[in-house]
Amino acid sequence: MTRIPPLLLLAGPGVLFILVTLLLPLLAIFMFSFWRTESYELYPDWNLDNYRVLFTEAAYRTFLLRSLIGALVTSLLCLLYAWPVAYFIARHGGRYRLLLVLLLAAPFFTGVILRIAALQGIFGPGGLINMALGIFGLPPIAALMYTPLAATIGHVYLFVPFMVTAIYLSLVNFNFDLLETAKINGAGPWRAFIEVTWPLNWIGTAIGLALVFIPCLASAVTPRFLGGPSATSFGMSLGQQFGETGTWALGSAMGVVLFAFSLLVLAVMGFTVNLKRSGFTGMGAR
Amino acid sequence: MPTVKEGTLSRRAVLKRGAATAALGALILGRPGPYIADAQAATPTLRLLMWQPYAIKETIAAFEDKFKAKFAPTFFDGNSEAFNKLKVGGTRDFDMVMADGFWPRLYFRQGLTKGLDYGKIPNMSGVFADFHPDKFVLLADEEGKNNVAAPNCWGGYGITINSSMIAKEDVGSIDLLLNSKYTGHFSTNSRFEENIALMGILAATKLGTKDGPRPDGKPFNPYQLTDDELAETKRLLIEQKKLLLTRYQDYDALDRLMRAKSVWAAPEFAESYRKLTVLRKDGKIDFDVEHVLKPKEGGLGWVDTWMVSADADSERTELAHAWINLFLEKENYVRVVRSTGYGGVVDVRSLMTEDEIALYFQNRSAEASQLHMFDQPSSPEKWERIWSDVEAS
Repeated sequence: MTRIPPLLLLAGPGVLFILVTLLLPLLAIFMFSFWRTESYELYPDWNLDNYRVLFTEAAYRTFLLRSLIGALVTSLLCLLYAWPVAYFIARHGGRYRLLLVLLLAAPFFTGVILRIAALQGIFGPGGLINMALGIFGLPPIAALMYTPLAATIGHVYLFVPFMVTAIYLSLVNFNFDLLETAKINGAGPWRAFIEVTWPLNWIGTAIGLALVFIPCLASAVTPRFLGGPSATSFGMSLGQQFGETGTWALGSAMGVVLFAFSLLVLAVMGFTVNLKRSGFTGMGAR
Repeated sequence: MPTVKEGTLSRRAVLKRGAATAALGALILGRPGPYIADAQAATPTLRLLMWQPYAIKETIAAFEDKFKAKFAPTFFDGNSEAFNKLKVGGTRDFDMVMADGFWPRLYFRQGLTKGLDYGKIPNMSGVFADFHPDKFVLLADEEGKNNVAAPNCWGGYGITINSSMIAKEDVGSIDLLLNSKYTGHFSTNSRFEENIALMGILAATKLGTKDGPRPDGKPFNPYQLTDDELAETKRLLIEQKKLLLTRYQDYDALDRLMRAKSVWAAPEFAESYRKLTVLRKDGKIDFDVEHVLKPKEGGLGWVDTWMVSADADSERTELAHAWINLFLEKENYVRVVRSTGYGGVVDVRSLMTEDEIALYFQNRSAEASQLHMFDQPSSPEKWERIWSDVEAS
């Protein structure tokens, strides 16, 4: 009887799972993107028409641009918020470090819709902020009610825990004694941060940026509930192709474009990471 | 057209007919039917693809108790979503599906559903004559040979108005939704079909093409717009977008926005109108509410229906008929209209107050036929492109 190699036994189920749940659907989406939809029917007429539509029709470029700008702004805001928080926890959290990081995940105990509904309850016309303003006779803040700004705030709220966690995990592996060395050698706190802390924790930061940017790029629910009529994102339009309009072929092409952009972002970030200067994985010691 | 027969449908009858059909199936196929072979799987399950408001727990409990069956619903939002689900995923996963307007005919034409036997739905006798297939023809196939669906509730996609904020002379036309006097105080739903179709009625009216001869030789249908009408519709929708506060995602959101007086006018299925009317009567809001069911240019309407999936086996087909029958029973049905807030197709006036009769359109069933019924867009691809242009503008 032929003996199955132990490695195959060990890796087989995982490989099979990835193949069935990830690669096959991706392949199907890729294939459909070259087909045609007509009145809710998919026809295997191989063509590039869906891609032509995506790159020539202004509407889809607008959706993509909105999503890219939204994801970029959200990532930068998360970065600005997450660094001091993660730094504080890693440096001064002591034995409560893990607890503090877990507390950041508290909003995840509820569903995304509930969290967005809570934000609506704060920003909405009859929400906490505008009600409080009304008590003092002040007009409501229109910029917070169903605007792209409200959607961005929602994204930051939803994704910032990912960024904090990634940076924190990098910082807990960081040797803070290096900052003392920099100080002894005449570096001020800001220079020490720019030349020591930031580059040695870049891999954690890059992972955090990827964890925020990619889901934000595909986001559909947050702009739908908070963004108002002028915040339709690429993800929202994509979702509509597979739901209401039944234009799956175009939706598949949108999915492929979104996937390609996500890969591009990962590749760009991958190129910026210098493993020899990274304090995250321990590989820098090699 | 099959006639409605008097009688009752009991659990015993359902099981008897199911068993008889199974035995016949066993003889033909040379093997026993699935529910006879597997005596362990004693509880039959009725799997429904349906709109959530109709999953009324008391009615479900009564059904499960009477027929010793399990009620297993899956919910959807728009017609196209449910249609896609059956078209792509097949009809094996569901025994019943809901739709409105012209959709039941499309389901039947595509072989996704099968004809209904009204003889097994004795409570059809309580349904207003306006919602029987001889008057409301969309319940039967084009040839009128098969009843493809049973009616459920009806309504329009009219405009609910805070009449304390909107001037009386501005009420009654779809044009209200483009009135810049009320900028920032409008809201529409986010579904492309209703938005385009409603504005399409106004576009055709403005172009003067609505009452003229149509390219297809049929009367005007806002789901069959010409290219010129679609271009005008797009222009109007882009104009309207600047006046919107938001596109509401659900009726709770619209209720909140109207109660907060942030939204003064919104096209909707009269759900918010009914809730706000009750609140006004109870003194919980300080403004008057009205609902324009049929604007002067014309309005959209719907009759929700039940259909039976083409792949439902004999037992589940019987159960499906039993469910429809139980649902239409007056005592159960009065709960349906009170719970959903939709117009009732069953005459339950004897069980309602005068206010309820007015609120649930119990005296207005004849108006259903004056509305343009929800339909499949002439070209979903073309409509999608228009909606994307509007959303990107």
